[in-house]
Amino acid sequence: MPCRLPAACQPGRGGVVALPMRVLLQIPCLVEDCLPDIGLAAVAVLERLGFDVAHPAGQTCCGQPAFKTGDAEGARAQALRMFEIFAGPDPVVSLSGSCAKMLRAYPGLFAPGTDEHARALDLAGRSFEFCGFLAAQPDFAGLARLAPTLKVRACLHRSCQLDGADAPGRVLALVRGLSLVEPERPERCCGFGGLFSLQFPSVSESLLEDKAHEILACEPDLLVSAEPSCLMNIGGYLARLGRPLPVLHVAQLLAKALGGPSWTH
Amino acid sequence: MDPLSPRTFRQACEAASHDARLRAVLDHATRHFQKNRAAALDAFAHREEHFARARAARLHALSRLPELLEELERNAAAAGTTVHWAADAAEAREIIAGIARGCGARVIVKGKSMVSEEVALNPALEATGAEVWETDLGEFIVQLAGEPPSHIIAPSIHKSRSDVAALFREKLGLAVDDGGESIPGLTMLARRALREKFLAADLGVTGVNMAVAETGSLVLVENEGNIRMSTTCPRAHVALMSLEKVVATLDDAASLLRVLPRSATGQRMSSYVSVLTGPRRAGESDGPAEAHLVILDNGRSAALADPVLRETLLCFRCGACLNACPVYQTVGGHAYGSVYSGPIGALLSSLLLPAEDTRDLPFGCTLCGACTRTCPLSIDHPKLMLRLRERVCGGRPSFAGAAHAFLARHPLAYRFAVGTARAVDPHLDLLPRLAGLAGLPGLAQFVDSRQPPALRTPFSAQLRARRKGGA
Repeated sequence: MPCRLPAACQPGRGGVVALPMRVLLQIPCLVEDCLPDIGLAAVAVLERLGFDVAHPAGQTCCGQPAFKTGDAEGARAQALRMFEIFAGPDPVVSLSGSCAKMLRAYPGLFAPGTDEHARALDLAGRSFEFCGFLAAQPDFAGLARLAPTLKVRACLHRSCQLDGADAPGRVLALVRGLSLVEPERPERCCGFGGLFSLQFPSVSESLLEDKAHEILACEPDLLVSAEPSCLMNIGGYLARLGRPLPVLHVAQLLAKALGGPSWTH
Repeated sequence: MDPLSPRTFRQACEAASHDARLRAVLDHATRHFQKNRAAALDAFAHREEHFARARAARLHALSRLPELLEELERNAAAAGTTVHWAADAAEAREIIAGIARGCGARVIVKGKSMVSEEVALNPALEATGAEVWETDLGEFIVQLAGEPPSHIIAPSIHKSRSDVAALFREKLGLAVDDGGESIPGLTMLARRALREKFLAADLGVTGVNMAVAETGSLVLVENEGNIRMSTTCPRAHVALMSLEKVVATLDDAASLLRVLPRSATGQRMSSYVSVLTGPRRAGESDGPAEAHLVILDNGRSAALADPVLRETLLCFRCGACLNACPVYQTVGGHAYGSVYSGPIGALLSSLLLPAEDTRDLPFGCTLCGACTRTCPLSIDHPKLMLRLRERVCGGRPSFAGAAHAFLARHPLAYRFAVGTARAVDPHLDLLPRLAGLAGLPGLAQFVDSRQPPALRTPFSAQLRARRKGGA
């Protein structure tokens, strides 16, 4: 059958400029003000993969603190703001598993049939955790072709907030030279739980103690996860324990493996 | 304060997490349960289909609960069982104590029943002048110790073998040097003590795993044979069930039986499954002369009225969520301060006990979801915890929560607040001192055990500068 594409679009004719996919970056509050390197690394990686990365203005909080402390009204108010900030058809890429989960929980905050519920469904349907987004792209958005390489022994903390998704492991498996190990109970909670760590500090610390020892038993060079709050929790504990370990978001490890600047600053 | 009250849940959790011995015992036991369960589920062909069928049987029962209970009453009565309705714990105690007096019971043997713990049945039976003996080994151990059970299916999970040996030395005269500290040795000692009670018993009291509406039958699942003994040796048997335990058909009961032992103990089937339909009939060689069924509400019909929280009543008490829960693994069952512990216990107690006593229960959870990933009936515990948190707070945020919500809605104010904090205290050294102000005393301990992150130049500003620079 003869090719019916216009001449200019036919393969090998040149002159075709690929239209990059636009992604909207959702920056968790913790990344914005405490761990900005995670955001910068994510931008670098997504741009290397050919995405047009936008960072919509006005982002503050996804509404998790309100949602998880029983303030449904406060969570709804945040959801309404997020509909405005992340308007449009483009996918939303979150640098936190728990924020992505919050974005996907918005439909539960509104009555079915309402305009807000429809907008919540729309946003939930195009919201991804960073690794989940890459894993959802054909061929991991061509990540393997860029030959990411990093010769380290990395311990992956899966984070319970990813609900068992194996996207971080699948993305990291593409990094050459990386020796990926997991703690004995990979999906067990690190004990953070937001307000939980303040209301039940000793229980939280006990869980963290278990997690830290299972991680250290892997004798890793660094800890990697797709959840900034787990990284803050575990990294902060290891520092106090006198056994500090570099803690990296998957985006930071990828940026490094793609030849970016060192993760230490 | 009553030691068995969820009012002290937070303090009890914090204290328990410092108990290294308890943590070690729980760690060993919950890992053992999880290992056996995983092996059983690995070998369970089409397990997702079986789980879905079990969930469907439970959903169907809840959706037709009133008519199924009436059908159960009719068919149980037709089989010769006397059916009683108890609106609350006091009524249940009164009914069963009345039956005990009526048959002049001097010795009462009991099968393991969480709902009998829920209504505090034993003291009421003892008040009739009868001896009351728990005959499940784990329940027997906690009864001797004067403690409540700490796990739905493993009541003495918090006790090590040496704890049990010490208890048996004190209460049953186990000699220190007779080599009886092996598990078979300890079990044999309990068995000898309990056999005498079965033979002397006038009344057997058990719970119910499922009640079948279409036949009026009661299904009881166990491994020790003590329930078989308690329901056949004594002249009378009383079964106490909470009203959500009814299922429509024997087929539905079979759907649940395929899943329950595998999920609870990692067994394809428990050692004994009894299906009891009425008392001994003419020409039968065993079974009680008198059979009673007590159907307990005790707050469940109110829970059923809540369109979200009613999901809690799907539970058939396999206990798998307890073993999977990192908080339960750390603090054990007693910290919950009520009969039911762990994720499902926090939910059930919040529905069944006075609201002012259970405020903290739904907050003792990291929302990690290990429970819902484990639950064979796909109960969404974290979603229900959030619903309960909403109910506890009456939809109103705390002072700190309201302040945060205000800033989150006003990006300029938010930026100003963080910017000020960054200028004044970039390394968050003042955080512990703000703890009292924000009503979060745990903040000091948080910072004490974890190096807090510093406030850095914001991501937005760095990205803007980089993009302006043409990078």
